[in-house]
Amino acid sequence: MIILHHILSLKLKILPMKYLKIKTSFVFVLAMLLLTSLSVFAQDMNEDAVAAAKSTASNINWLIVGIAFLLVFIIGMIFDILSKVGDVQKKPVINWGKINGILSIVFIVVGLAACAWEFVVHGKLTFFNLPAASAHANEYDDMFMITLWLTGVVFVVTQILLFWYTYKYREAKGRKALFYPDNHTFEIWATIIPGIVLTVLVVRGLFVWSDMTSSRDKNAMNIEVFGYQFAWNARYAGADNKLGKYDFRQMGVVNALGVDSLKENAGDDIITSELHVPVNQPIYLHFRAKDVIHSAYLPHFRVQMNVVPGLPTNFHFTPILTTNEMRAKQDDPKFDYILLCNKICGSAHYRMKMKVIVDSKEEFEKWLKTNPALTAKGTETNNSFSFFSKTSPLAFN
Amino acid sequence: MSAVASHADVLHHDDHGHHKETFISKYVFSMDHKMISKQFLITGIIMGTIGMLMSLVFRLQLAYPNTTFPIFETLLGEWGKGGKLDPNFYLALITIHGTIMVFFVLTAGLSGTFSNLLIPLQVGARDMASPFLNMLSYWFFFTSSCVMIASLFVQGGPASAGWTIYPPLSALPKAIPGSGTGMTLWLVSMILFIVSSLLGGINYVATVLNMRTKGMKMTRLPLTIWAFTFTAILGILSFPVLFGGSLLLVFDRSFGTSFYLNEIPADLAGGIERVGGSPILFQHLFWFLGHPEVYIILLPALGITSEVIATNSRKPIFGYRAMIGSIMAIALLSFVVWGHHMFITGMNPFLGSVFMLGTLIIAVPSAIKTFNYLGTLWKGNLRLNPQMMFAIGLVSFFISGGLTGIFLGNAALDINLHDTYFVVAHFHLVMGSAAIFGMLCGIYHWYPKMFGRTMNESLGQIHFWMTIVSAYCVFFPMHFMGLAGVPRRYYAFTAYDQFNVFVDMNIFITYAAFLGGIAQFIFLFNFFYSMRKGKKAVQNPWESNTLEWTTPVKHLHGNWPGEIPHVYRWPYDYSVPGHEIDFIPQNTPHEGQEDPLTEPQTIPTPERKVAPTLAKEEAVLFTLVKRWLGFA
Repeated sequence: MIILHHILSLKLKILPMKYLKIKTSFVFVLAMLLLTSLSVFAQDMNEDAVAAAKSTASNINWLIVGIAFLLVFIIGMIFDILSKVGDVQKKPVINWGKINGILSIVFIVVGLAACAWEFVVHGKLTFFNLPAASAHANEYDDMFMITLWLTGVVFVVTQILLFWYTYKYREAKGRKALFYPDNHTFEIWATIIPGIVLTVLVVRGLFVWSDMTSSRDKNAMNIEVFGYQFAWNARYAGADNKLGKYDFRQMGVVNALGVDSLKENAGDDIITSELHVPVNQPIYLHFRAKDVIHSAYLPHFRVQMNVVPGLPTNFHFTPILTTNEMRAKQDDPKFDYILLCNKICGSAHYRMKMKVIVDSKEEFEKWLKTNPALTAKGTETNNSFSFFSKTSPLAFN
Repeated sequence: MSAVASHADVLHHDDHGHHKETFISKYVFSMDHKMISKQFLITGIIMGTIGMLMSLVFRLQLAYPNTTFPIFETLLGEWGKGGKLDPNFYLALITIHGTIMVFFVLTAGLSGTFSNLLIPLQVGARDMASPFLNMLSYWFFFTSSCVMIASLFVQGGPASAGWTIYPPLSALPKAIPGSGTGMTLWLVSMILFIVSSLLGGINYVATVLNMRTKGMKMTRLPLTIWAFTFTAILGILSFPVLFGGSLLLVFDRSFGTSFYLNEIPADLAGGIERVGGSPILFQHLFWFLGHPEVYIILLPALGITSEVIATNSRKPIFGYRAMIGSIMAIALLSFVVWGHHMFITGMNPFLGSVFMLGTLIIAVPSAIKTFNYLGTLWKGNLRLNPQMMFAIGLVSFFISGGLTGIFLGNAALDINLHDTYFVVAHFHLVMGSAAIFGMLCGIYHWYPKMFGRTMNESLGQIHFWMTIVSAYCVFFPMHFMGLAGVPRRYYAFTAYDQFNVFVDMNIFITYAAFLGGIAQFIFLFNFFYSMRKGKKAVQNPWESNTLEWTTPVKHLHGNWPGEIPHVYRWPYDYSVPGHEIDFIPQNTPHEGQEDPLTEPQTIPTPERKVAPTLAKEEAVLFTLVKRWLGFA
């Protein structure tokens, strides 16, 4: 200890020693001791790590936490001493004004580069890199891209200005700031220009929104999506294209969805656990939940709607690419559309999903036949009176 | 107004004679606003540390869903059996992390600390309008924090329906274990919290309106006070709605009513069939608070930043009146945009378009604020101390997060972005990081006022750089996850092939989060160490104009030893031409000014020469607009 103290004192001779005598060197010694003790810890850690590797796959233990705290403490002490040295010298040891100026420039350059890198590398993983899977997806993507460009320009310009000013106008001795409290012209333009840009976005957004939510094709196929903890069901309306009534008291009694096949329109309903939809056919999804709020999210189709118990919701869309076409375009034979739950709903929320398959009309028809209707009578009507016979040249049989 | 001030003076002097301070009255049940602000701050910091540690736990889970961490079992016991985090407990963690951060740190910790500290000091008052209510406000907050922490240890775990606690999930104990006792305690805690927040808010508004010192006109208030006032007004108007909403939820949970429940079979809902309510009603009530809440969090941070940026740029804040105007506009608009959280709940699409319009309009005052910050920095003489860096960081986050808000505020775009990681990224940048930066900026700036010492500068700078890098590394990549359709609040992404590509990104984010965590420990060290060992502060360490720096370093009950100073000018007279020193405190009279209320120059305009041409340009502009609208 004493030796250390001497060594330190020697080293510190450059500094005015009379201020730095006992307290500071004590702190230094303490810091050094802690630093040296680190190596001991490091050895311990190695042994510990071996033991940990044997028992579990863990790579975290209390020692690391302890060392982290110690490091924080040591860093803290070092800079405390530096600041005291600065007080003695009447001049800070580290000139943070200059360093911050330079770091700002480094930050904005590296930051924007990283940002660009992200767009190139991770941008590919977003759904904008996939071909649009539904009729309204192109409109959606255009809206998104317009917003992205406008906000992107503002982002780059303002961030550059912010960090550039930080660098350029950092404190310099003898310079006085410009007294400039107001400029009405600037304020007016700073209001008008964002106002105009946002008007463009709002107007376009309103059109897209009303297109997506209010368009209804009368010939749309009615399908009910039923969510419960933690799975989904689909119910097809059958030949009459009308979903039968349900009774929530009967859920789990008559069937999972509480649809009594004897009720009006219900006989020909078909309940499945996969959602198949025919391509280029307007689909009118009706959502219903059993227990808590879920959210049916079909990212590839730009479709999402909450599924609320006791509150009917719906969404209208037209798939335009079959699963097979999408697989071919992506060159990924395993690709599947999905419907996933996007509203916190309980422990297995993270795996509450349903496979969505977009078939050609023939395939869809074939698949639907393999699923039984609620009653035999329904099946009969299903065969004799097809939904498609009314709306498209393709018939079920 | 002056009458009130002098009245307070008299009261104070009367008090002085027989006022005896014991340990309890000084440190525990203190009625001194400065002590209460310290109490708020330290409770907030403790809660913030808990919230941050929680986020590190679930970040580990998200990065390594298939790895076992024995530490989880040590720390969490049953919830981390075999080193695997329980999915229900994951949900509990994100719920409590959100609740703590939004309410306990960024509402009470931020607003409670700085409103309490600065309102009396900056308007020139001896204390709050009602010191007793102020004390109650803290102790309600403290009780509320204790209840929230206690809820971590009950059977079934803490509330786990997300911080927005949407029923039926939060109403049905059968749906998730956290909706049992944990949720009851959550609601109790929230009700206590709302009481605390209302007591505080009423006090702040009353103090600002009634107890300003002589000469402190509303147009001479620092922007901090403007921001705190509007924050308090927002809180007073919106928190009671959540109070009502929470009570109804308590009824639904405990007394068998059906305010928020419809078509729930008896076996799911405790033996009573629930029909006739609406789950969406709760969302309306919640977000009627919830959206103003975002501004309750953000406005104080913006106010603090305005003050710090002006002081450390040695320049008046650019567009003082525009700043006040935009605070007012934001506050007003924040009440008519709550529906943008609910675009896809099945709300009438027309309603959606109304909320979308309101939401995007908010971008205009926000843009004005940003431009004004840039305008203030322009040609300044920036002292890049930690608080200034944090203020600049706030502006950076405000831009980044604000711009993604334009995507989410657009109802059409929200369809595919709602509840994805894009939302997580957006609000963590604009509300989380920005407001935390505002809070840290305030702590570094007013630490000398609070504790009579300064924090270590270098540690502050290291804290800043580590935090900003970590925050951007954590939240920026999340945008891309969101754009790939990755939903938030997922325990793991292992069930989806297309989300596997984000494994590396998740690991990277977790590393960045740990970097941020270490940075916060550096801050904590600096904060607590400087309290005793920091450099002794001088009276006005930042050479600032506002009144709090005219009080002595050592705290005394009643703030000023003699008379309360009078105010003669606005708070932003920095680098006034013709003055040797680059700041003129508010209590310095203009040359020849005797009556504080007279205004030799309302707000100094920069150059007299420019003004007429500006007027002309404006006139031309307005004539054009008028002509275009067909008026002329």
